[in-house]
Amino acid sequence: MNIVFLLIPLGMVLMVAAVAALFWAVNSGQYDDLDDVDRCPLDSDEL
Amino acid sequence: MRCANCSRAVTRAVDSLPGVERVSVNVATGRAAVDWHPGTVPLKKILDAVTRAGFKPLPLGGETAASAQRAEHRLALKRIGLAGLGMMQTMMFVYCIYAAGSHGIDPAIAQYLKLAGLLIATPVLVYCGSPFFTGALRDIRRGALGMDVPVALALTIAYTASVINTLRGAGEIYFDSVTMFIFFLLAGRFVEMTVRQRNLSATEALARSLPSTVARIAADGTAERISPELIRPGDLLSIPKGAVIPVDCRLVEGDTVVDESLLTGESTAITKRTGESLLGGAINVGRPMRVIATTRTSESMLASLVGLLERTQAARPSITQAADRVASWFVVLTVSLALAAALFWLFAEPTRALPAALAVLVVTCPCALSLATPAAIAAATARLARLGLLVTRPDALERLALVDVMVIDKTGTLTAGAPVVEVTDIKGEYSRDALLQIAAALESVSDHPVAVAFRPHANTNVTAGSLQEFPGKGMEGRINGTGWRLGTHQFVTELANSHAGASPATVAGAADTGIFLGTPQGLAATFSLTDGLRPDAALAVEQLRGLGLQVAIASGDEQARVDAAARQLHIQDALGRLTPQQKLALVQQRQAAGSNILMVGDGINDGPVLAAASVSCAMARGSAIAQAAADLLLLNDSLTTLAEAIRTARQMRAAIRQNLAWALAYNLAAVPLAAMGWIAPWVAAIGMSMSSLLVVLNAARLARPRGARP
Repeated sequence: MNIVFLLIPLGMVLMVAAVAALFWAVNSGQYDDLDDVDRCPLDSDEL
Repeated sequence: MRCANCSRAVTRAVDSLPGVERVSVNVATGRAAVDWHPGTVPLKKILDAVTRAGFKPLPLGGETAASAQRAEHRLALKRIGLAGLGMMQTMMFVYCIYAAGSHGIDPAIAQYLKLAGLLIATPVLVYCGSPFFTGALRDIRRGALGMDVPVALALTIAYTASVINTLRGAGEIYFDSVTMFIFFLLAGRFVEMTVRQRNLSATEALARSLPSTVARIAADGTAERISPELIRPGDLLSIPKGAVIPVDCRLVEGDTVVDESLLTGESTAITKRTGESLLGGAINVGRPMRVIATTRTSESMLASLVGLLERTQAARPSITQAADRVASWFVVLTVSLALAAALFWLFAEPTRALPAALAVLVVTCPCALSLATPAAIAAATARLARLGLLVTRPDALERLALVDVMVIDKTGTLTAGAPVVEVTDIKGEYSRDALLQIAAALESVSDHPVAVAFRPHANTNVTAGSLQEFPGKGMEGRINGTGWRLGTHQFVTELANSHAGASPATVAGAADTGIFLGTPQGLAATFSLTDGLRPDAALAVEQLRGLGLQVAIASGDEQARVDAAARQLHIQDALGRLTPQQKLALVQQRQAAGSNILMVGDGINDGPVLAAASVSCAMARGSAIAQAAADLLLLNDSLTTLAEAIRTARQMRAAIRQNLAWALAYNLAAVPLAAMGWIAPWVAAIGMSMSSLLVVLNAARLARPRGARP
C-alpha cells in the first residue's frame, strides 16, 4: 500500500475545506466592499 | 459585456426594432443609450430584445443594479477561488507524472493521479468555466463569433481529449491546462471588470453629493426624515445651515446665502431671498431655511449634469468602431488558423497537433484590440470628472490632445466675473489688511454686491457694533469705540466735516468711482472694485505655454482692459471689442491656417464660436446653449484644470497608441509561434490574459493623477 493513495484524497479534502471557507467568506459579504470599510466608524448615520 | 462583439450584438438587436431612432452601447462602461419613440415601441420590447440577445438589461443606478452588481462580484470571486485552488491541485498531480518522466512511474499511481485530476477539473470546468460556454452559445446562436467561442472550443477539446485518454489509460492529459485557462482568463476578466466599475463610480461622485436624508415638513408641522428620491414637487422641506440642497426648489422662509460652486462653478456665495429659486446640489451656507421643491431629484439640474456625463459614457467614439470590425474577423481567422495548425501537425507529428491547436485558440486576443481605445477614454474621462471638468463628447479628448492654439475669452474666464476689492489709497496709520478687515466688518450685515466683494477679507476678531445701512450711501458702525463710515466720498467726508477740527480730505479724480473708508478724523482708505484676473490665470497660462500651446485672447471687452489683462499674463495676441461674428471669423481663419483650436468661453455669447472650434470648453455657469455646444464643461472655475486636461488627453492618446501597438504586436508574434507548436497551451492562457490585462491597466494609469498611489 502506497502512502500516495492516502495523501491525495487528504489533499482533496483540504481543498474542499478551503473552497468551503472561501465561499462562506464571500457569501457573508466580507469581500463586497474593500475600500470604504475603514470609514465606517466616522459615519454617524449608520450607528 | 466583454468585448466589441457583445456590444455589436446588443446594438443590432435593439436597432432592428421599429421606432428606435438611435442606439449606442459602450463596451468599456457596459452602458447603453437608446433614443426611441415610446408610441411605436414600448420600453419592454427594447428590454426583451436585449434579453434575447443574451444580456441582462438593468436600469442605471438604483438598488436592483447595485445588488445585481454585488451578486456578479461575489460569483466572480467564488469562480476565481475555486479555479485557483483547483489549478494548484491538478498541477501538483500532473507534475508528478511529468517529473517522473524518464524514471518511469508506477502505471497504477499514474492512473490514480489522472483520475484525481479528472475529479477536480470537472467541477472547475462546470462551475467556473460556465461563463465561457454560455457566452459561446450566445455567439453561435446569433451567428456572430465573439471571443468566447475559441476559448470554449479550446476548453471542450482539451477536456474531452483528457477524459478519453484517462479512461483508456494512455496518451497525454491536459487537466492542468484546462484549470489554468479558466483561472487566468477569469482573473483577467475580474480585474477588467473592477477597473471598469471603479471608473464608473468615480464619475458618479457628482451625484453622491446629495444628502442621504431630508427633513420634510408635513401639513401639521411635524418633520419626518425621508430619502431624497421620495421628494415630490410641492413638498415643504427644511434645510439646515451647512446642508446640501437636495432638489431644485423655491425659498419660502428665511433669506439665506448659498454656495452653488458644485453646479455652476460660481465660487462666491450667492444671496437668496424669499421667493427666489435654488438649485439642487447647492450648499446652504447662510441660515436655516424652508423651501418648496419644484422638481423631483431625478429632474433637477444636478441630475441633468450627471445625465450629460452618462450620455458620454454610453456613446461610442468612432475609432473604437473600426477596431470592433477588425475584432470580429479576428475570431474567424483564429479558428481557421487553429484548424490549419491541427491539420498540419496531424500529418507532420500527430502528438503535437492538439497542443498546437489549443495554443492558437487560446493565445489570440482580439479583446486587447477592441478594449484598447474605450478603456483609455473611460479612464481619462473619469480622471477629468474628478478634477472638475466634464467631457460631454467622447471624441473631444482625442481632439483635445492635438490642440496647439488656445483662444480664450476674457470676461468670466480669465477674470472671475465677480468684483474684487483693491486698496488704491491709504491715509493714516492703519495697515492694508486692517483696513480691509474693518471694511469687511462694516459690510458684514449688508447684502449689497459691494459687501459681497469685501466678505473674503472678514476677520472674526474685528467686529462692528451699532451698524446702520444708509441706502445709496454706505454703512456706518463702531469698532473699538471709533465711528467708521464706508461708502461714497460725500457720505464718508460728512462724518469728518461734522466733527469739529477735522479738515475735509479730498481725493482728486477718484471721488466718483472709489469706495471710501473714513473716521471722524478723515479719510482712511480708498478702495476700488475691479473684475480682477482669476488668481490662477497666470499660472494656467504659463502651464499651457509649457505644453507648447499658443495662447490668445479674443474678447468683446474694451481693448484697454484686454491689453491690461494680456500684459499681466504676458500674452502677445490679444484682441478686444470683437463681436461674436468676428470671434467666429478669427477662429475659422486660424483653423484654415492649420491650427487645432481650443476655444474657452464663459458661453454667454460664445455659442457659435464654441461650436466652430476644434474643441470647446465652457465655464459651466454659462448659458444653456453654450453648454450644449461645448465639448468640455469646466465645473470648478480653475483654469489650471485645462492644462491638466490637455496633459491627460495627450497621455490618453499615447496610451491608446501603446495599447493598439501592443495588441497588434502581441497577436502577430504569438499566433505563428503557437501554430508552430512552440507555445505550450498553459503559456498561451497566461499570455492572453496578460495581454488584455496590460491594455486595461495601461488605460487605468490615466484615471489616477501622476505620482499618486491608489
